[in-house]
Formats: sequence, structure tokens, C-alpha cells
Amino acid sequence: MTTLRKLLLPALALGLFTFTAPTFASGLFQDDEAKDEAQDEESEDGEAAADEDEGDKTFVIQGADIHTGTGAVLRGATLIAVNGKIDEIGYDLALPEDAEILDATGFRLYPGLVAVSSIGLFGGGSPIEDTVDPFSRTMTLAVAGGITSTVQGSEVAKLKRGHIKDIVIGSRPLQSMSYSKSSPAGKRSLREKFDGAAAYIREYKQWELDVRSNKDLKEPKKSGVDSGALSVLLGQARALFNADDRTDLLEIAKLAQRYEFRPVIDGCREGWTVAADLGRAGATAIITPRERRSQDESIMAEGGSSIENAAILYASGVDIAIIPGTKGVSLDGIAGRDIMHLPIEAAFAIRGGLPEDAALAAITTVPARLLGVSHRVGRIEVGMDADFIVTDGDVLHYATFVQWAVIDGEIIYDKEDEMYFAHIRPRPVTELAPVDPVDAGEADADVVEPPADEESDDEDADEEPGDEPDGSGDGEDGDDGGTASR
Amino acid sequence: MKRMQRISLGLAATAAATLSFANAAPALGGDRGDVDLSAASQGDIQPGAVGGNGLAIFTKKAVLAEYKGRSVLDNAVVLVKDGKIEAVGKQGELIPPTSYTQLDTGDNWLMPGLVEMHCHVAGKFGLNDMVYLANPGLRASSDVVAGNSMLDMGVGGGVTTVLYIPGSGTNVGGQGVILKTGFETYTKSVMKDPGSMKLAQAGNPERWLIRPNRSMMNWNTRTTFKRGIAYAQNWEAYEKDGGVKPRLDPQWEIFRHLRKRDCHISTHTQIYQVILKTITMVHDELGLPFFIDHGTFDSYRVAAMAEERGIFACLGPRNIDIPVAGYMRWSGSNPEKIQGIAAGYQSEGHSRIGFNTDSPVIPQEELQLQASIGVRYGFDDSNMETLRGLTIIPAMAGGVDREVGSIEVGKDADLLVVTGDFTDPRTSVELCLQLGEVVYDPATEKRRW
Repeated sequence: MTTLRKLLLPALALGLFTFTAPTFASGLFQDDEAKDEAQDEESEDGEAAADEDEGDKTFVIQGADIHTGTGAVLRGATLIAVNGKIDEIGYDLALPEDAEILDATGFRLYPGLVAVSSIGLFGGGSPIEDTVDPFSRTMTLAVAGGITSTVQGSEVAKLKRGHIKDIVIGSRPLQSMSYSKSSPAGKRSLREKFDGAAAYIREYKQWELDVRSNKDLKEPKKSGVDSGALSVLLGQARALFNADDRTDLLEIAKLAQRYEFRPVIDGCREGWTVAADLGRAGATAIITPRERRSQDESIMAEGGSSIENAAILYASGVDIAIIPGTKGVSLDGIAGRDIMHLPIEAAFAIRGGLPEDAALAAITTVPARLLGVSHRVGRIEVGMDADFIVTDGDVLHYATFVQWAVIDGEIIYDKEDEMYFAHIRPRPVTELAPVDPVDAGEADADVVEPPADEESDDEDADEEPGDEPDGSGDGEDGDDGGTASR
Repeated sequence: MKRMQRISLGLAATAAATLSFANAAPALGGDRGDVDLSAASQGDIQPGAVGGNGLAIFTKKAVLAEYKGRSVLDNAVVLVKDGKIEAVGKQGELIPPTSYTQLDTGDNWLMPGLVEMHCHVAGKFGLNDMVYLANPGLRASSDVVAGNSMLDMGVGGGVTTVLYIPGSGTNVGGQGVILKTGFETYTKSVMKDPGSMKLAQAGNPERWLIRPNRSMMNWNTRTTFKRGIAYAQNWEAYEKDGGVKPRLDPQWEIFRHLRKRDCHISTHTQIYQVILKTITMVHDELGLPFFIDHGTFDSYRVAAMAEERGIFACLGPRNIDIPVAGYMRWSGSNPEKIQGIAAGYQSEGHSRIGFNTDSPVIPQEELQLQASIGVRYGFDDSNMETLRGLTIIPAMAGGVDREVGSIEVGKDADLLVVTGDFTDPRTSVELCLQLGEVVYDPATEKRRW
């Protein structure tokens, strides 16, 4: 019973648990945040105590265009991280002495990407901290693809290369459920579980009131109450359904509205045909935009996959998280479809009409929320973990590379330091950037000291394709390209 | 990225007629907010199509994709008549005849349709017979299902021409056929039959019945080719000097085409030793025309040799080479470097780099992504070489560059209206014309891709 009290009391005490009110769903998140803040204070206190002897560890990144993930872009701004947390973002900031400074002028800074699911990125099994290979190739390549946080099993953790401690940051608050027309009995069973859990919560709430006047009153019995359904109704977990079929999606939407929870739907292939219903149910969809399945010809209604799925769902108010079809790092040589190319998967949602900011959110803030770690990662904000990537262009552009990845205020990946990609469009060297060139295997690797004019050329080249993918802003006159050999 | 505005019609003041996109004209014309004049002026034939009125396409940027010529022409107008490109010029300089229907693509770009030289999805895949190790007489054309759903998706991804070829289960799988993708019938789809002879080396055919190795396969291929060449030489002698008419043998007819160079050998070849063998045996020793198809792994190491001989290379489905510890390829001063294959060819000085998918290994509609990935992994695209690699280069490799592959006068009007630089996967197809006919228009049907 003590466990149950732990579960129930915070919600009830905060008065957020209004079982029948339509604001139930939003209450859940307040609850989450309240809990999260409490955790934050705890951990910060702990860290502060530990670091007291060594003094604050300060990391500064200057000159980057900071894409905060909250809608704001701060051009050429400075970010200061202290002890792994973002301490200040802005202009003309006073820099602490003995801070590690990274000059990222001309580059862009984004929140580290969050993969809502993945396979094998930690180079080990479970539990992560006992089995992680912090130097594994898959981890390096995933970070090179921009990912700084992901989930393995039930553990949400950071891809903090070179570290084996303090990398797990939460446990995945998703409760898998099935509600499909292929199993009517299973559907009835799930409804009964929710009925039971709802009845139990009502009884418990009543008991809490009554026990004040009658101390001998016995607590309602929890036996037989489904813990999964209970955690969903209490807002401690979100129900996760694997569903693609439109009938199933409609039924899930109905179920969610009946019991007042916000479903998470993995797959959601035919979501575009029932988008309004999913929007009303407050659903979040985990989408692979490139998934393809033709329509079932035996069914009259619209169906099958659509490249516009994410865009249509988003327009109906469904939160979108994006994940590629291949959830591990693929080493078979067919690039562009695995977890290492998460932004390219998001690009295909944009192709189908998803706004670019929603596409970025679909690989940062939305998955961070789904994994219960949005109070720490997914956005660039003061107080959040200093987890970010510095890129040479628009993160959603196909040619953009992660130049540096930073986790907890520490550079854990530098493109020029690894042999995988250092030879591809080597980075122009700046005065303050930590330069540690490697032999990238190129006989003519004159990477180290490019002439000054080459540097500016490179930056131009980075900007153009990313900024104007539609080309509407350039080429007003003249026939650019190909004129030399005409 | 902002969605591009839909195609606007009749924008130019001189418009004499507005464009009707389909035979079911009244409804569609209504959708586009324009008066439809097609019934009165053009009957049932779309403007631009064979027998129809002329079509003038105004575009912000036309990707011409001329081979070693112009990449783009800004503020261009392209005239289409009878399914062909009739004229290309600058707006204001090239004045379309007033009778032409006008199509303004707004901020969208116009580009040639994509050309795929390694496609397995244009039929039922009933052509991968593996009874014999070399089958030069089998024909993919007997297996085509025109307008099938996978080709339809390809059209949604901008692919207008494909070389449909047998699989690589044997050394010579048979003859490929070059098709247009947007039509419902074989007769209308076929561009060139035979479109190629398929040669496969190493890798896949090593899994054939008795598991031959490369020595046996090379011996068998060489012997087969020599017989074919002898057959063709007999015919050539007869055609030149007369005499006894040789017996017609469908098994060897393809070699007459190869010797005349009106069709090429599309070679599934990968790993540098294997391409080296293709170059020295097929090109140097036997003198037959071939192009590298399905060029993958470290094949870029012989790119300079291919370039010397003017051999085209279509690359894919693998687009990067990740050396694996323990293999012989794990070598050099940086054994871990991830090498873009297209970038590798380019750095060796190769200038005829195209892209392919090996559909369905990579879905047909993702041909575009092969170019994106090429650039991501180091291919220099500053002169829009990727767009050539998707169009004119594969067209030249397959020997159909007189018909398709670029926006040049006299070529088929296989054109795409796209939302920008098509090397970006975010860029989508907003209209696809083949022989001047609208074969895909997401404004009037579900967006395919």
C-alpha cells in the first residue's frame, strides 16, 4: 500500500487529479513537471556538493546561430554551460575565467537529437551502465548523426562517449497496450482493465475523503487492478499502441477519449485518413515518413501509407515524433535509411508538407517528452542539460554534418578527431576552435591550414543549399552553373 | 520549407488558351480556378502531347542538365509540341506563338525526368531464370507490366525512364528494356528493346547452382561473348559481302546490337578487381560497349581507368563504403574512413557519374536520395553534377540520350515541375509530363511521394 500512496498522493495532493474533467490530460504534464523539478533540485544539489572542491566547470560556445528548439534563433550568440547545465544564453556575456571556449562562428547550434527508439547504440545490453561500450563504433556514428539521447529497453540514456556513469537519465514512461480488431477479446479485456482502474481510483479518492472522519475505514483493495491501466490513468505513463490500420486508430482514439488519456501511437500508417479523430484524442504519433504500403483494395475507404501522413496529422493537432525504419546503425553501405540519418527521415516528412520547425521538434522536443526527459534535453534553454550539436548548416539539410557534439557541457565528439568523416568537407580551422587534426587517410589532406579565403568560401557553400532549398531566393539573373564549359 | 504554390495557369498576359490537364477537363479546370477552353480548342488531346496544341512552360529556373554544357537557365520558357521539346529560351527573348497554351510554374523549377539504369520493378520479376549461367537470349521485355504500382511510385519520385533488367543470379541474365514509366501500355512505354544486355560479375552469381568462382565465371563469360561476337561477325560479313545467309539465332542476336553499339552491356559489377576485369575483358579485349551499373564498394579505385576509356558509371544501391575490420579492404592509412562511392569516383577524376537504385532494393521513388547521399558523403555538387547524374549521364550510359535526359530541343518532353533543387529529399514533384502528357499531378490525385 505504501507504493500506491507514493503513486497516488502527489497527484491527489496537487489537486490535479480530476477524473472526469476535460483538462485531465494537461494536468498530467503539470504533474510531471512538478515531479521533475523536485528531481532536478535533488540532483543539482548533489552535483554541486561533489564539485565544490574542483570549482565550477564552465564551457562556453561562441558565435553560433543558436536554434533553441523553442522557436527562437539567436544569431551569433554565446552559450555558457556551468557544470553540465545551460547557465546563460545571450550576447555580450561576461565569460568566466578558465572557461573552455569553443568558437563556432559560422556554425549552427541545435539541441542534441533524441531518438524515440533505437537498437544497439550503447554497444551493450541491459542495464546500460553495466554493459555500455563508451567507445563503440555504433555510438560514435549515432552521435555523428546528431543523436545525444535515446532509449534502450526501458532506460533513457545519453550517448555520452567515453563515460559509463551518470548516463541514464530516466526510464521510459510508456505502457505498451494492444487494442486491435484482430483480437476482439483483447479489446474487451483492455476496456475491463481501464474500467477496473478507473473504479479503483474513484474508490480510493472517496476513501481519502471519508477516512478523515472515520479513521477505521479500510483502504480499497488494489488486488485485481491492472497496474498498466492504473499508471496510464494516473498520468504516470502514457499508453503506447502499435497501430497502423484506420479502424484500429479510430477505436484507439475512442478508447482514449472515453478514459481520458492521451495515446501514443507507433506506426500510425493510416493516421492521415482519421487525423481529426486522433487530434481530438490528443494523440502523439511516432511516424516513419517513408513507410510505404499500398491501399488494401478490399476496403472502400482511403488507406495505405501517405508521404503526407506527418503533415496531415500535425495539421490536426497530433504531436509528431519521427524515427527511421532502420533503428540501428546500418553498416551495409546503403546509407540514408537508418538511425544515423534521422534528420533525413525528417526531411521526408517535410517533403510531405510538415513545417520545418515541426520536423525539428519531431526529432528533439517531442521524443524528449515521450521519453519523460523533456525537462533535461530537447531544447536549448537555461537550466536544461548542456546537450547540443554544432553543425555546418541546416540540420535538416542532407549535406549537413555534425561538427561537434556536446553532452553535459563536454565535447564528446569532434568530426575532425574521428576517422569516419574527417575527410569529408574538412572543417575550416578557426583560431579558437580546438584543433587536433588527424590523418584522415588522404594523401593530400591539407586540412590543417587552409588559406583564409577558402574558409569563407566553405561557409558560403554551407549556407546556400540549406537556406534556399527551393531556390526561390537565388539566381535572379544569369545562368549560374555550367557556364565555364559552355 | 514552405509549400510551393500550386501551378498557376494562364498567368502571362498573352495567354491564348489555358491548360487542361486531363481528359476529364471541366472538373479539373474548375479546381484550378481557370476557364477551361480545351473542349473548344483542343479536343481531347492535352496541349504539348502528340497531336495537341503547343504548350509554353514558363519557369523560374529550368535545369537543362546539358552534358558538359549549361546546368540551368533562369527565367526560362520551354516550348513543347507533339510530345517533343520544340524550343528553349529566356523569357522575353523566346516569344511563344500566341496559340500555345501557357503554363506558369511559379517559383518551382522545371527539370528533365529522372533516368534509372538499374530497375527491377517494371514487371513481375519472372525473368530471373537461373538454369544456365549465361542467357543472352532472354528478354526482360517479355515480362513488363506497364504502369504497375511500383513504377507509379517511381513517377511520384520523378523517375520517367527506366532500364528494366533481369536479376544478377547468373552471369548473363538476359536483355534489358528501356521504358517510359508513366504509361499504361507496353507499346506506349517501350523506348528501346533490347535496351541492354545484362552482365553480372562476382557476388550474386557466385550463388548459382554449383557455386562457381570468378575464374570459372570469367571463362564462361568470355567464351559466351566470343561466340556471340562470332555470330555477329558472320552477319556483318553477310551484310557487307553477301553469300550464304547466316541462320538467325535469338540467343545471339543481341551481339549484333552490341557490335553496332545501339545497345550497351549494363554490368552489375562491384569491388575493384571485378570492375578491373570488366574493363580489361569486355572493353579492352572483346571491344564491346559497357557501362558500370550497380557500382558499389571500393570500385572507385579503378575509376581513373574507366574515365580514360569514357566508360559511364551508375552507382548504387550501396552509396557508401564502410570497411570492415578483417576484410582485405580494411587497408590504407585510414582504415575506418567511411567513403562515399560517388565521391570516390569523382576524386579519381571520373566525370560520368550517374546514380541508380537497384529497385526494389532501394525503392524506385528514392533514386533522388542516391544523389543526396552522394553529396552528403563528399560528392562535389557545386556544378549541379548530381542533377546530371540523375538524368543525362544515365541516359548516355543507356544510349537514350538523343531522346531523354536533358532539356534540349528535339528531345522527348519528359519534364518535372519540382519545388527546388531536386538533390534535396525535401524537394517534391508537383507535376510530371511524359511525351508532353500529364502522367502525374498531385493537385488532382493523392500525392504519391
